Amino acid sequence: MEISLLKLQNYRNFAELELIFEPEGALIHGKNGIGKTNLLEAISYFAFGKSFRTKHDIDLINFSKAFFRLEANFTINGKQFVFEASADKNIKQIKIDETNISKTSELFQYLKIVYFSPQDIRIISGPPAERRRFFDLAISQYSFNYLQLLRKYYRILKQRNALLKSKFNNLEKKTWDEQFIDIACQVIEFRLDYLKKFIPLLTDTYSQISNNHEELDVKYKFSFANFYGENLKDNLRNHLEETEKSEIESLRSLSGPHLDDIQFSFDLHPARSFGSQGQQRSLVIAARLVQANLISKKAKDTPILMFDDVLADLDKERALSIIHLLKKKHQIFIATPNVKNYEGFHLQNINLEELV
Amino acid sequence: MFSGLLAELVQNLKKLPGIGSKSAQRLAMYLISMEKVNALELAESIQNTVKNYKNCSVCNMLTENNPCHFCSDYTRNQNQLCIVENTQDIYLIEDTNEFKGRYFVLNNLLSPLDGIGSDEINFPKLLELLKSDGIDEIILALNPSAEGESTISFLASQFEELKVKVTRLSTGLPFGGDIEYTSSLTLGNALKRRYSVKD
Repeated sequence: MEISLLKLQNYRNFAELELIFEPEGALIHGKNGIGKTNLLEAISYFAFGKSFRTKHDIDLINFSKAFFRLEANFTINGKQFVFEASADKNIKQIKIDETNISKTSELFQYLKIVYFSPQDIRIISGPPAERRRFFDLAISQYSFNYLQLLRKYYRILKQRNALLKSKFNNLEKKTWDEQFIDIACQVIEFRLDYLKKFIPLLTDTYSQISNNHEELDVKYKFSFANFYGENLKDNLRNHLEETEKSEIESLRSLSGPHLDDIQFSFDLHPARSFGSQGQQRSLVIAARLVQANLISKKAKDTPILMFDDVLADLDKERALSIIHLLKKKHQIFIATPNVKNYEGFHLQNINLEELV
Repeated sequence: MFSGLLAELVQNLKKLPGIGSKSAQRLAMYLISMEKVNALELAESIQNTVKNYKNCSVCNMLTENNPCHFCSDYTRNQNQLCIVENTQDIYLIEDTNEFKGRYFVLNNLLSPLDGIGSDEINFPKLLELLKSDGIDEIILALNPSAEGESTISFLASQFEELKVKVTRLSTGLPFGGDIEYTSSLTLGNALKRRYSVKD
């Protein structure tokens, strides 16, 4: 997949800007605050239907303006598409080839972008919610069915939590429980399937980008007692029965995929608390690379990669060799204040200081 | 900018689905500038219809006559009962010409978020209807949403003792659809519920 043209109007700090990109990608540089991340954010708006930094489209509108508008030309699976997005304080519109899409989630079926963020380290060092967000997004890009299933799960979870807060009759609760168990287990099966493919690739990739030789492990941690060798649904059903009292007392669902965790560990110690900064940084970059690798395998086209000043964390020679390998397959965007760090990358140079 | 009666009219029009401030203003302006006879006829027609429509005492559908013309039509198949969410769904099913039985309108689907539990879906009235007549098949024609699914399984569990056939609408490929463009969730459902070519 690649982007060849981007037009921005009233987007963040850009009043009006038009950029043409080469198939290999670009090195975007300029001093801090010039809008490098804003540019990456604008491109990836078309992959997620929203910003990766804020939920509120209104924050994306240039100060003192009433609306923003983005337009981009993408090539996906060999076909050309024109994407448009605009929003003012009331209405948001996204079009593909001049046709409005009805749900932003539809975009997941088209464009796939993997964004390497400086905040990614929180996937390892942060709370479980950060890891669930990482995997939920990665699996949604891998399989659109997962995204639909996940939305259904959260809808049922919301209903079930509302039920626990009300005066319910037991039969009613049973019908919600059964649906909850059914969809919860489908979500978990999806995640386990994904992990089966993810883990061996991660081990491989990590050893390529890190000097360390510790043993890496990833484990799915259930929020309920899941006895090995027994049926997942039965385990969840039994657990719900056993914890019914505490669920009613705390007025919410206390187990299910919305509370499960996926734990990374080095030599059997949790990476979250035992990994060094360097280990953790290499690990998240490896995880993002595997995310991209799995999308490529499934989608028969390669996602666009965006490195927001994260390669500086790696050993320079290693970073160079990784990029050279990736450049052959992916369109790559790198944002950095220090263009010198990336000498020899042979990418189109975009100096934002000359354009803004 | 609008005041008095006109502002009130705009506020009232805004209560209709799909009508925002701008449309409400446009409609209100149109109403006061159109032929008075026509506007008043519209007002009268709204008043008469709203006043005279009520829930059918048997099946719950919104109707002018009580019982409704479905419940009082004995040429319809008295053995099949189709349960729907609202009155509009009845007309959609009638349009298919595939069903000639009786109807029952729940008015709601189970939805704890909206405070709707089993007491809010007219269940006692439904049991009353089931007791009196010789119904041998119940069709649950409800949306396959989270709320619809819960309502279906709740009702199905209630019907277990009745020894009637309980069915639901199938979910699968749309007519004239294309396998290539069908989401794999839908395609999976269609496979699970495949049927014999001879049926």
